[in-house]
Amino acid sequence: MQPPLPQPDALRTAMARRAFIGNAGVSLGAAALAGLERRLPAATVAAEQSAPAAGHPRIHPPLPGLPHHTPRAKSVIYIHLNGGPSQLDLWDYKPQLQEFFDKDIPPSVRGEQRLTTMTSGQKRFPVAPSKFRFTQHGESGRWVSELLPYTAGIVDDLALVKTVHTNAINHDPACTFVMTGSEIPGKASLGSWLSYGLGSECDDLPSFVVFTPLPDIPPSQALFTRMWSSGFLPTRHAGVALRGSGDPVLYLRNPAGVSTADRRRMLDTLGSLNAHNLARYQDPEIETRIAQYEMAFRMQASVPELTDLSTETAETLSLYGDDVNKPGSFTHSLLLARRLVERGVRAVQILHRGWDQHGNLPRDLASQCLDTDQATAALVKDLKRRGLLDETLVVWGGEFGRTVYSQGTLTKANYGRDHHPRNFCMWLAGGGAKGGTSYGETDDFSYNVTEHPVHINDFNATILHLMGIDHERFSFKFQGLDQRLTGVEQQRVVTEILS
Amino acid sequence: MGSEATVQFDRDIRPILSEHCYACHGPGEQEAGLRLDSAAAAEALLDSGTRAITAGNPHESELIARINASDPDVIMPPPESNKTLSAAAKDLLTRWIASGAAYEQHWSFRPIVRPTVPAGEQPNPIDRFLAQRLATTELPVNATADRPTLIRRLSFALTGLPPTSAEVDRFVADERPDAYELLVDRLLTSPHHGEEMARHWLDQARYADTHGLHLDNERQMWLYRDWVVKAFNDNLPFDQFTIWQLAGDLLPEATVDQQIATGFSRCNVTTSEGGSINDELVFRYAIDRTATMTNAFMGLTGQCAVCHSHKFDPLSQREFYSLYAFFNSAADPGFDGNVLRTTPTLAVPAANQRQQRETLTAEVAQLEGTVDAAIERAFLSVQPPPPAATKWIDEAWPEATVARHGPDARVAWVDRQPAAENATAATGGSRCLEFAAEQPTQTVLLGPGLTMKVPEQATLVLDVKLEPADAPVAVMVQLRSTGWDHGVAWGDWAAVPLVDNREKDKRKALIHADEALTAGKWQRLSIPLSRLGLKPGMPITGVAIAQSRGRACWDNVGLDWPAKPTPTAACNDWWQQQAALADEKLREFPAAIRSLLQQGPKETTDPAAIAKVRRFWATQVWTEQPASVALAAAELEAATKILADLDELVPETLVFNDLPKMRDSFVMERGAYDQPGEKVQRGTPAFLPPLEVAENQNPTRLDLARWLVSGKHPLTPRVAANRLWQQFFGTGLVKTHEDFGLQGEPPSHPALLDWLAAEYRDSGWDTRRLVRLLVTSDAFKRSSVVAPRQLRQDPDNRLLARGPRIRLDAEQIRDQALFVAGLLVPAMGGRGVKPYQPDNIWEPVGFAGSNTRNYYRDSGDSLYRRSLYTFLKRTAPPPFMSNFDAPNREAYCARRERSNTPLQALQLMNDVQHVEAARALAARGLAASATDDADRLAWLFRTVLARRPEPPELVLLTTALNNHRARYQGDATSAKQLIAHGDSVVPTHIPPEELAAWTLLANTILNLDEAVTRN
Repeated sequence: MQPPLPQPDALRTAMARRAFIGNAGVSLGAAALAGLERRLPAATVAAEQSAPAAGHPRIHPPLPGLPHHTPRAKSVIYIHLNGGPSQLDLWDYKPQLQEFFDKDIPPSVRGEQRLTTMTSGQKRFPVAPSKFRFTQHGESGRWVSELLPYTAGIVDDLALVKTVHTNAINHDPACTFVMTGSEIPGKASLGSWLSYGLGSECDDLPSFVVFTPLPDIPPSQALFTRMWSSGFLPTRHAGVALRGSGDPVLYLRNPAGVSTADRRRMLDTLGSLNAHNLARYQDPEIETRIAQYEMAFRMQASVPELTDLSTETAETLSLYGDDVNKPGSFTHSLLLARRLVERGVRAVQILHRGWDQHGNLPRDLASQCLDTDQATAALVKDLKRRGLLDETLVVWGGEFGRTVYSQGTLTKANYGRDHHPRNFCMWLAGGGAKGGTSYGETDDFSYNVTEHPVHINDFNATILHLMGIDHERFSFKFQGLDQRLTGVEQQRVVTEILS
Repeated sequence: MGSEATVQFDRDIRPILSEHCYACHGPGEQEAGLRLDSAAAAEALLDSGTRAITAGNPHESELIARINASDPDVIMPPPESNKTLSAAAKDLLTRWIASGAAYEQHWSFRPIVRPTVPAGEQPNPIDRFLAQRLATTELPVNATADRPTLIRRLSFALTGLPPTSAEVDRFVADERPDAYELLVDRLLTSPHHGEEMARHWLDQARYADTHGLHLDNERQMWLYRDWVVKAFNDNLPFDQFTIWQLAGDLLPEATVDQQIATGFSRCNVTTSEGGSINDELVFRYAIDRTATMTNAFMGLTGQCAVCHSHKFDPLSQREFYSLYAFFNSAADPGFDGNVLRTTPTLAVPAANQRQQRETLTAEVAQLEGTVDAAIERAFLSVQPPPPAATKWIDEAWPEATVARHGPDARVAWVDRQPAAENATAATGGSRCLEFAAEQPTQTVLLGPGLTMKVPEQATLVLDVKLEPADAPVAVMVQLRSTGWDHGVAWGDWAAVPLVDNREKDKRKALIHADEALTAGKWQRLSIPLSRLGLKPGMPITGVAIAQSRGRACWDNVGLDWPAKPTPTAACNDWWQQQAALADEKLREFPAAIRSLLQQGPKETTDPAAIAKVRRFWATQVWTEQPASVALAAAELEAATKILADLDELVPETLVFNDLPKMRDSFVMERGAYDQPGEKVQRGTPAFLPPLEVAENQNPTRLDLARWLVSGKHPLTPRVAANRLWQQFFGTGLVKTHEDFGLQGEPPSHPALLDWLAAEYRDSGWDTRRLVRLLVTSDAFKRSSVVAPRQLRQDPDNRLLARGPRIRLDAEQIRDQALFVAGLLVPAMGGRGVKPYQPDNIWEPVGFAGSNTRNYYRDSGDSLYRRSLYTFLKRTAPPPFMSNFDAPNREAYCARRERSNTPLQALQLMNDVQHVEAARALAARGLAASATDDADRLAWLFRTVLARRPEPPELVLLTTALNNHRARYQGDATSAKQLIAHGDSVVPTHIPPEELAAWTLLANTILNLDEAVTRN
């Protein structure tokens, strides 16, 4: 039996009852107390108020000099479709492909490109036209696949980029690349960079939060913690993965037999003893530790409060969909994402697996869309009606796209597609992205970019730009280099998709 | 820092040039032809007619004009670089040029010249070097810490564990003048010392228990981890430590340990992800190994040079690939196969296993002999039947057949003229069939007398003699199986009887043989039945012979088929066939026999090898294996299985070997595996001492390893000494331990670093001696209390006016909790263990097919082993480790962060590991001799912190204890819950309410900042 997680009310009572340093009967060094009073009010008051009083230093302050310019977005919600969703069956409409059914893709189109060894041995590269119907939506008249009926309803809020390309052709390096700007493990992830540079508006929660919801069909692909790791940046900027089962934050819950009041009492003693030690050693790390224990205590209340959906209206819950009350689902994660940015968390990342359709694409892709489409659209709508979309950037995309030619069996109704890094679709919504735009064009086979290529690092530079960061001036010295999220080569902010 | 008067290139100028200029005007790139990293280049006349630097004359130096320009098109660094020079930097550059613009080689590339130890009172030279720098400040220098603090600091530093209270007592009471040194010596010989030392090295070596990519399956190489522990406990000199790891396999008669040590270069992440490209994987592994070697021993960052010449360091791309060439012939495959033991591996049986193995191996060998003898007997006893044949047209029509002739055919049995040479039963007797007609015609022969099954490798054979005066231009034989679909014709295709008269598709059933017809003499014609579409086992039910008009004699029309081969020949034939198979097909055979099969029978002369293949064939392939062989084979198979299963239990470890034939190495353009550029040879960078190689020999990894520790190498001793400094003082003398190049931070105490490096090198790389030197310094022993001025002027404690105060590492924090709780199981070595871990750490990231998808935690002793032995899954490392900044070991890590986060607080408060330890610690406290609360509290406090609580602390603890008591007195349920965490036995003689109160108190003490800090 686990005890119930502390609730805000219980917490407030405990806070009121508790005796902090002042009346613990110990005389502390004046310097230590002064130090504590300087830092701690932000920590203690925050538990009782939703935000610290003006003038109190933040737990996660931004770096000096940041943001570089007025940000368009304060927070980012990044929906990562892990495995490589098929651009051909969702966004990149190619009606003329029907005539090419089961015909080989012309060599002039395929060129000398690298293939994965899953298909490089194939004798034929037969074209598999999408079996899904596309229709036009919104004032922008965007073509959208029938697999995304809900997302089709928000196309005028989306800035679609059809020509994103990446360097890597396999999952592991491509995932590492899209999230850290490098195929080599060990670099910092996008969310960590944002946390490092911009800090957080929220003192009760980590500045970078990650969800790893499982799709309906258990996927075979793995995720890697390096996709939300802080790499060479200080570890406090690593994404904190809120978990779908058990405690949402590791070790959040007091052990059975320890109540919130017990923990508060324990922390009071601990704080006093640590303060005593601070008086003795004068080491500022002790101050930080005291503050982090208080933060931990606040998280014991704020995280359950975050995940308590009883304050959401039935209408909101139904907007997101049936799974909204199922922890660990994509739908649940997206509603929590909204609640996190509402509370000032800087970066939220949802990594949804199962988009790697080498075979049985029509069946499995449909299932994936069913799992995600409604909640994705709901998130954008929900943010918009609350006035949050203007300051929240929503990002949607995978690590690469898929080939026009079929891998394995090809029939009118069934086919598979291999990895395709040369062009794929991603979209931005809110936070300064220009709704209703579509950027970049591909050839008739969605195999090559014909107009306006956008490298994944350009895309990331654009995200940073909207967050108020000049990607070229945002670096961290490591291994002898000024490390950047966007790498060492020249990258460009895609201004054409900004409002 | 420096005096106002003198400008030093190394200290003052290089950092400015490196940071602001070298990216475009350095070793890697020279925009506008300008290179600023050497005097000659910087002072050269440029295309623009100016000189960047005119030594002694800033006004004649274009560099000075440019950095002071206001025009954005002229100013350097240019605006788009986002770099600006401070006024101080401009001033330094101006003064440097004015004073002669003297260049110096980068400090870490200069030969190590042992500095003179400064004069001073302190016995330990380290302190005299430190004192020199401290003397230039006004920092108050702390006194030696009190003994409880000292012993705790030292115990953690040397063994990773706190001292026991008894040890503290002994040390505090020890009045000998060298009590501290004696303590150091005692701790240095503790087996835990090797464990603590190994931890730091394993970060650099990126050791873990899984492959790290894709499935991230388990990998077995913990013998390497255990060897590192042993190497430190044996105080293996660092030069040997280096050589064994980089090239132990190349040492003459390499020992088991020397081979295990090569695992250093097998610790890199590997994959077997479908769709990967073998060459790319092989390339990446070699790059990783090169970069890890470069960093671990030379403190340089090689990664930049993978794609381009290093912009800052003098390491060119070509030189990087020359180092890479040492690792590019690795024998391990690109695809790791997702297996536990990716070849090459070394089996290292324990003593009893070795003996069992010897016995079993001897038994197997004996049984192999038995099988071979049985095979020999069987081979000799099998008498293959002689070659066989059947004849349809020979001396007369066969019995039980009918013959029908076409219109106008004149058919007669006549004497053969001339008679067949060597007339035997096989070649036919004296008669033949004369066959003549004025038109194309045939004879059809049917009936049970000729019905048969097609034998193996049968050939249709016939003799025919065409009458020269009236010779047919074509002859034909047709065989009937289920239809007349198997025919062959010789001669003029157009004249082949019936051809023109038959339906087109029937013609498909006819083969036109190549052999030309000659008239006037007996001619033997033949064709394999397989060419006629007749496979062994198909029925033959009829024969027809035909000819175009004319006269001919036919004889010996029938089938020949070879004798059944002897078993020896059959075995060799089979072997020959396998030798021709593609590699993938061969992979289906056991590894032990694969290469022999590939070699083929003709190339194999070794009798043992031949016997091995024959044994395999006779037991696994031979369809007519006699019972005698089968029985002996069964016994061999049973013994082999027992041996194989034993081998499964015998630990193996991944080792590094080279391929028999070296791969060529190339500079890979832009670091792409498929863009080979210039070919490179093995070699070392030009800015470092030359590699010594025996004349006319291709340099080996052994040469490379010896070069690193040759004594002339400027980097290896500095890097090694700095690593130890970082380990014991928290921050290296070179803070950027991962980078000793131009972009790294210069040492805080250059002379001290060089002295330590020289001392280490010249002492025969005696690691333990250097460690002893470090921890016996006054600096290490100083109190870590921070004076305000120290905090202000030296917040990072680089000058060491105070002792090092650093947060314990992840492993130390957990090990301490287990240790003070009396739970720690000190057993050393072995497969990684799986202690408590929250649910859903592995599962959410795991692949469906991975053998590390589900975490099954161990029980019993495995829960309480030292953290060094925890199973490390790279894609989901244990949270108790990563939470406290342990690297995930995907790449080498030269330096850990020390973060301070709320997640750490939650772990220490709530993790079952720590709650259980708190309860066990509390139970120990209650069982200790003390009787009253104050004594017990003091015992608890001292067991964790080595010191007694001060009165105010005791007051706080007493109050807390009483509050906890009051709370649990009223709630037995909660009390019982709190004391029930973990698998270890809960003492029943203590009332749960009392134990619960003490548990929460112990939890408090274990969470103290002081508890998780090396004070």
